[in-house]
Amino acid sequence: MTARTSSTPWFLSLPGLIFFLGMVVLPLTLTAVLSFHAYDFNIGVLDSYTLSNYTTVLSDPYFLSIFWRTLRIAFITTVLCVVIGVPEAYILSRMWNPWRSIFLLVIIGPLLVSVVVRSFGWSMLLGSTGLISKASIMLGLGPVRILYSEAAIVIALVHVMLPFMIIPVWTAIQKLDPGLEPAAWSLGASRFTAVRRIILPQISLGVLSGSLIVFGLSASSFAIPGLLGGRRLKMAATVVYDEYMHELNWPLGAAIAFIVLVANLLIMLAYNRMIEAKARKVLG
Amino acid sequence: MSFLTLNSLSKIYGNFTAVDAVDLEVSKGEFVSLLGPSGCGKTTTLQMIAGLAEPSAGTVTLDGREITREKPNRRGLGIVFQTYALFPHMTVAQNVSFGLEMRKVGRAERDRRVAEALALVKLDRFADRYPRQLSGGQRQRVAIARALVIEPPVLLLDEPLSNLDAKLREEMQFELRRIQQTVGTTTIMVTHDQGEALSISDRVVVMEHGRMTQADVPAAVYDHPATEFISSFIGKMNNIPGIALKLGIRAHGVILPATDCPATEGESAVLSLRPERITIVPAGQGHLHGVVSARFFFGSHWLFNVDTAVGQIIVSWPNTDGSLPASQGQPVGLSWLPESARVSARTQETSRIDA
Repeated sequence: MTARTSSTPWFLSLPGLIFFLGMVVLPLTLTAVLSFHAYDFNIGVLDSYTLSNYTTVLSDPYFLSIFWRTLRIAFITTVLCVVIGVPEAYILSRMWNPWRSIFLLVIIGPLLVSVVVRSFGWSMLLGSTGLISKASIMLGLGPVRILYSEAAIVIALVHVMLPFMIIPVWTAIQKLDPGLEPAAWSLGASRFTAVRRIILPQISLGVLSGSLIVFGLSASSFAIPGLLGGRRLKMAATVVYDEYMHELNWPLGAAIAFIVLVANLLIMLAYNRMIEAKARKVLG
Repeated sequence: MSFLTLNSLSKIYGNFTAVDAVDLEVSKGEFVSLLGPSGCGKTTTLQMIAGLAEPSAGTVTLDGREITREKPNRRGLGIVFQTYALFPHMTVAQNVSFGLEMRKVGRAERDRRVAEALALVKLDRFADRYPRQLSGGQRQRVAIARALVIEPPVLLLDEPLSNLDAKLREEMQFELRRIQQTVGTTTIMVTHDQGEALSISDRVVVMEHGRMTQADVPAAVYDHPATEFISSFIGKMNNIPGIALKLGIRAHGVILPATDCPATEGESAVLSLRPERITIVPAGQGHLHGVVSARFFFGSHWLFNVDTAVGQIIVSWPNTDGSLPASQGQPVGLSWLPESARVSARTQETSRIDA
């Protein structure tokens, strides 16, 4: 009896476990092993092991500047998504059908369009002969070129990341008692105070999960920085691609990928612990 | 002198009239219940007083000041919501203190008034708990303390007891009345439970299809219901259709006496008789004869279903000494004092149903 009850859960989770091991743990382990291999430009991957890939990456200002840019872009994108997404989710929750469905579709829209098409759309808008630049010239402000700058990457990232912020926040708002705001008003709170003191603290877990998703996806984004950042502005994922496909230095690429993964994991875990501990204590 | 006045207050949603020209005057310190079935407009009326729904027409006047269009946070009314709407991320004390913070009351006074309010609802020991750690009845008390601590001119209660179980509900009824009489706040309660409304209010306002149909002290609403709807909605009532006589009605060849008989002689009319006003007498005596078809025991009283020539009559018999006047299948006579029965002209609605 005890033997059966203790082995059944393992048995039932076996398919998932095999999938997880094969698709996540194995490739990651192989990448980790690869990152310790030595490399020679003339011969290729050597059979000896070394830490030099890591020391190269962590001591080279070129790579460090890319890591720094990756963090900065992911952070700015996350902040902008919170600033735009939270009010948007709140407004969405106050809408009636059919408007709610229409706007939900508008918000999810970017996810339905291929990233390549979407990025080319942005480059047509943001380029030096694009719509924004032309409008600026017409207003007598001179041409502006946003394309191939960090701003272009952030704009395109925020555009596609917003649904990942809005949906968890919206779900959190849906769970609230609709009487909470009227209760706050009746006690003398203005609309703004009611949102700040009553609604926001209770949707903090939604904001937390939203910002974790947005940060993680932005820091590892590949296509948008590749298409809108140009050849010069590299982010972590694009530089890994370069090492693999152009330099053919797989061990170095693997080392960069691993450093990004560990850094991302550390930041997200720290952030999660910090806010979740506080929120759980209050919300239970 | 009226403290809170509703003057032909109406709310229209599209082509549906939720509240139809309600006029009501509430005096200071009075406990008024808005009673009616769901969809009768009682909650909408309360929301218009609270400022949570905008009236389509009419005015709300509080203490001589018109507040019809004023924002809810400027009215300063205390509201207890059906779901209580406690702030889950705040402790009991913080919940109660919120309204005082919004009024910029100083720390020391705030703490004193919060303690006072919690003592009033007997929750002083729970100040540091979170709402989720409280029982339904305790949450209800927090909601009342939170609404009362701001010393509102009017306390609005929206179905305050509907989320409690039967036993607790009865307890909280008395508790609500005790608290209301201690602080003396003018109170308006919305409820669909007639027992609740009758037991604790100074005055009951019955609403039906968005209209106010009767506003009177509980005993008057019970004993002299203005409409047939009220008579069947509030308490149990035997309604016997027949032809009006000078003092009573004739139904199926039987003459049933009643002193209160405003209907025109010869017209079709309804005789209304409360179950507890009927006495069971030995067969062959009384105004009406029948056979006991069913008997139910309720602890404090029995309920008899008696089949008679004019249909089934419900009789309530108090359990004073444990003796039973009749058993199932037994022929009995039914008697009542003519002043306990009331005859009214038949409304369109009931004649259609009976036809």
